Amino acid sequence: MVWHIFKKDWKLLWPFFLAVAVVQFIPAAIRVKLGLFGEDPVLGYVLIPATVVAIFGVAFLAAAIVQQDSIPGVRQDWLVRPVRRRDLLLAKLLFILVLVEGTAIAAATLQVLESGFSLHQSLSAAFFQNLFLISAITLPAIALASATKTIVECVIGSIVAYLGGAAILIAFAAARGGDERLEAAGTGSWWIMQSAVLLVILLGTCFVLGTQYLYRRTAVARGSIALSCVLFVAVLEFLPWKPLFAFQQHLSSQPGAAHAMTLSFDAALGKYHQPSGITLSDQELWERLHKPGTPAELFLPLSISGLPDDSILKTDKSEVRLISANGKVAYRGVGEYFEVREEGASNRQSTAYQEFDVPETVYSRLKSQTLRVEIDYSLTLFRLETAFGIPALGGDLRSPRLGWCETQMNESGSAIELRCMQAGKGPTCGTAFLENPSTGMRNPGLSICDPDYAPRFIRSDVDPTSHYGLNLRFRDPSGLTQYPVDGPQLPKSQVVLRLYEPQDHFTRQLTIPAISLPDWESK
Amino acid sequence: MIQAHKLSKKFGRHDAVRDLSFAVPEGSAFALIGANGAGKTTTIKILMNILHASGGMAEVLGVDSRRLSPRELAQIGYVSENQDMPPRMRVDEFIAYLRPFYPTWDAALEKTLLRQLRLPPERRIRDLSHGMRMKMALACALPFRPRLLVLDEPFSGLDPLVRDEFMESLLHQAGEMTILISSHELGEIDGVATHLAFLDEGRLLFQESMTDVIARFREVRVTLDREPAVATHAPSDWLQLRTLGNVVSFVDTQFSEAGLGERVKALLPGVRDIDTQPMGLRSIFTALARTARESAV
Repeated sequence: MVWHIFKKDWKLLWPFFLAVAVVQFIPAAIRVKLGLFGEDPVLGYVLIPATVVAIFGVAFLAAAIVQQDSIPGVRQDWLVRPVRRRDLLLAKLLFILVLVEGTAIAAATLQVLESGFSLHQSLSAAFFQNLFLISAITLPAIALASATKTIVECVIGSIVAYLGGAAILIAFAAARGGDERLEAAGTGSWWIMQSAVLLVILLGTCFVLGTQYLYRRTAVARGSIALSCVLFVAVLEFLPWKPLFAFQQHLSSQPGAAHAMTLSFDAALGKYHQPSGITLSDQELWERLHKPGTPAELFLPLSISGLPDDSILKTDKSEVRLISANGKVAYRGVGEYFEVREEGASNRQSTAYQEFDVPETVYSRLKSQTLRVEIDYSLTLFRLETAFGIPALGGDLRSPRLGWCETQMNESGSAIELRCMQAGKGPTCGTAFLENPSTGMRNPGLSICDPDYAPRFIRSDVDPTSHYGLNLRFRDPSGLTQYPVDGPQLPKSQVVLRLYEPQDHFTRQLTIPAISLPDWESK
Repeated sequence: MIQAHKLSKKFGRHDAVRDLSFAVPEGSAFALIGANGAGKTTTIKILMNILHASGGMAEVLGVDSRRLSPRELAQIGYVSENQDMPPRMRVDEFIAYLRPFYPTWDAALEKTLLRQLRLPPERRIRDLSHGMRMKMALACALPFRPRLLVLDEPFSGLDPLVRDEFMESLLHQAGEMTILISSHELGEIDGVATHLAFLDEGRLLFQESMTDVIARFREVRVTLDREPAVATHAPSDWLQLRTLGNVVSFVDTQFSEAGLGERVKALLPGVRDIDTQPMGLRSIFTALARTARESAV
C-alpha cells in the first residue's frame, strides 16, 4: 500500500511539488550564471533569498506531505482505516526522500554539470551536499510535522525549538561572562561537532517518527523533540576539545609525520613589532580610544624546528594558562591561530609569534608578577600534494584535483584574481604566488588555508560546488612596494598554486617557566 | 463483539469516562445514550484505539482495542460527526483511495450506496455540506460489509430528509452486522436499537435489551380520593414523583403488571384509579437524565 498512499499524496500535492521543484532550479541557475568570478552583483544579492526559499520550500513540502495524514488529533479519517502505519511512514519517506530530495539533487547535479564537471563528480557532489540539508533541515521538519497537526503549528514549534535552544546557549554564555564556547568552531575539526549534532537530530527524528507512527504518543514525541533540542545545545556546549581532537588525531592520514617537530619559547627573537605600513582598522582604533577594558595583546616568540620540506604547520587550537607563583591558574584563555610555511627544502628553524589576549582587569592584576605559561597546542601538519601553473592572464585550467580555475586582472590593474571551483569538497589549504618562469622571479606567496578535515562525503554547504581563490598583487598603487613580477611581465608569468593536504594531527605542550607579561606586549 | 471492562479516561482532572463496563452482543444494535458530555464519543474513540484509556481495557472483535490492527479495522465501519476526510479530495477519488484497503469491498454495493445517498462523485469533500459529509462517511463505511458498524452521533445536525436517507441506507444494508450507535437523537434510535446503555457523566447507569427497557418503564398516574399528605417515602425506582391535586404521577422503572397495584396501595391510601402508559425512549431518557441531574444537585 506504500505506492497507493504515495499516489494519493501526489494527487493532492503535485502543484506544491512542482512549485518547490522550480524553486530548486533558480539558485542553481543563478550560481551557473555567476560562474567563477561572480561579477553580477544583482544576481549575487538574489542568490541568498533564492537559496533560502529553495531550502525552506523543501522543508514546507516535507511537512505538508507528513501532515496529509497527520498523527496528532482524534478526528482524522485514516485512524479508523486499515492503513498500516509502517506503510504510511514509508510512503511519506518515499515521497520526501526520493521525489522531493531527488529534485533538489537533480537541480544541484545540473548546476555542477553545467560548470563543466563530469556526471560522476556532479552526482556525488549534489548527493553529499543534499545529505547535509536532509539531515539538518528536512529530517527535523519531518519530525516536527509528525508531532503537529498543521503547518502553522509546525512553524511555531520550530520557532520555539530554535528560540529555546538559542536561549539556553545564551544563558550558558552569560554564565561564563559572555565567552563563546563552541569548542571546535572555526577549526578544521568542526565537522566532528557538526556530525555529533546531526547524529542527535537523526536519532531524535527516528525516535519521534517511531513514537508517532507506531504508538501515536504525541506528548512523548514532543517531549523527545524538546530533549533533542537540549541535547543539541549540550553537544555544542559541552563536547570538549581534547577528546574531539584526539578523535581527529586518530583519523590522521600519516600519523607520526610530525614527530620531529619541536616548538620552544625563544626570548632571543625579541618583542613583536607591528609591521610597518600596517595600521589599525577604524573599528580597532575606536575601540582602543573609547572602549575601556580593551584586552592586552601579548605575543610570545616561538622557535619551530623539524618541519618537513614543503609543509605547512597550522594551529588548530592553543589553550593558554597563566600560572602564578603559588601554582594557581591565574588566567585561562585561547591563543590566536598561526601558520608556519616551509616552501621548498626546509633546513632552518622557523619562527612565529603566539598571540593571545588578556582582559585588561586580569592584566592589571598580573602585570607585576612573574608567571609560568603553559600552552597546550593542537596542531596539524600539511604536506604539499600537488602544484599547478596557470597563465597569469586569461588562464583557464581544469583538473580532477584542482577543479576549474581561471585568472584575470582586477579592475584597478593591481592584482591577478585567481578563482577556482571544485565539484563537492575542494582543496582547503594552499598557497599561490606569481612567477615568471623565464626569469625565475616570483612574488611573495599568499596562503588560502582554511582547513576542513571532514571526509569528502561530509559537506555542510548549500552550494554543491566549493569556491576558493585569492588576489595576487603585482603593483602597489602608492608606489611604495615593488614586486619582482610586475605588470609588464604578466603575459609571460603564471600563477603557481600549491595544494596541501593534512597528514598528521598532533599535540605539543609548551611551558615557559617565568615571564613578565609587559615584556611581551606588542609594540 | 465488544467487551469493555472498567474503562476510564481522564482529561487533566476531568473524568470523562469512569469504570465503564458493558458488552455489545454480536448481531445487536447497541445504543449508547446520554446527554452531551456524558462520555459517549470518548468511549467510542477508546474502542477504536483513537484515544488511549487511562484505565481498564476493552476488546473489539476479540482483540484488545489498543492493538487493533488493519485486519480488524478492515471489518469495522466507522461514521462520526467528528470525522475529517481529506478536504481536497473528490468524493470518487476518496472512495477509489479507500477501495484497495478493504479485501471485501463490494463495488456494486458502493455504486448502489452512491446512488441511494445521491452523492456527487466529482465534488470535493470540502465543498460538501455537513449532511452530505455524513452520507459520504456512511458510503465509505458500508461497501466492505463490515462486521461491526460504529456510528458516533450520526444524526447530529442532519435535517429530517437527510436523516431519512441515511437511516434508509443503513437499515437496508444492516443485515447481520453489529451496530454500536451513540446518540442523543432518541427518536432515531427508537426503531433501530436492540440494546441500550445509558451514560451519565462518564458512568454507566444501566445497560439492557431494548425490550426489557420498554417493558420495565411505565408512566404511572394514580388518582386518589383526596389530596395526599406527603409523598416523601416513595421507593427509589419511582422517578419524578409529582402531585397535582389528588393525582400522583411518577415513572416506574421496575414495572410489573401484577405488583404495581399492591405497591401503590401500600404507599398511597385511597387509590381510586391507576393508569399506566408505556414510554417511548425519549421519555425514558428524559426521566433518567432529569433524575440524574437532580440527584447530582
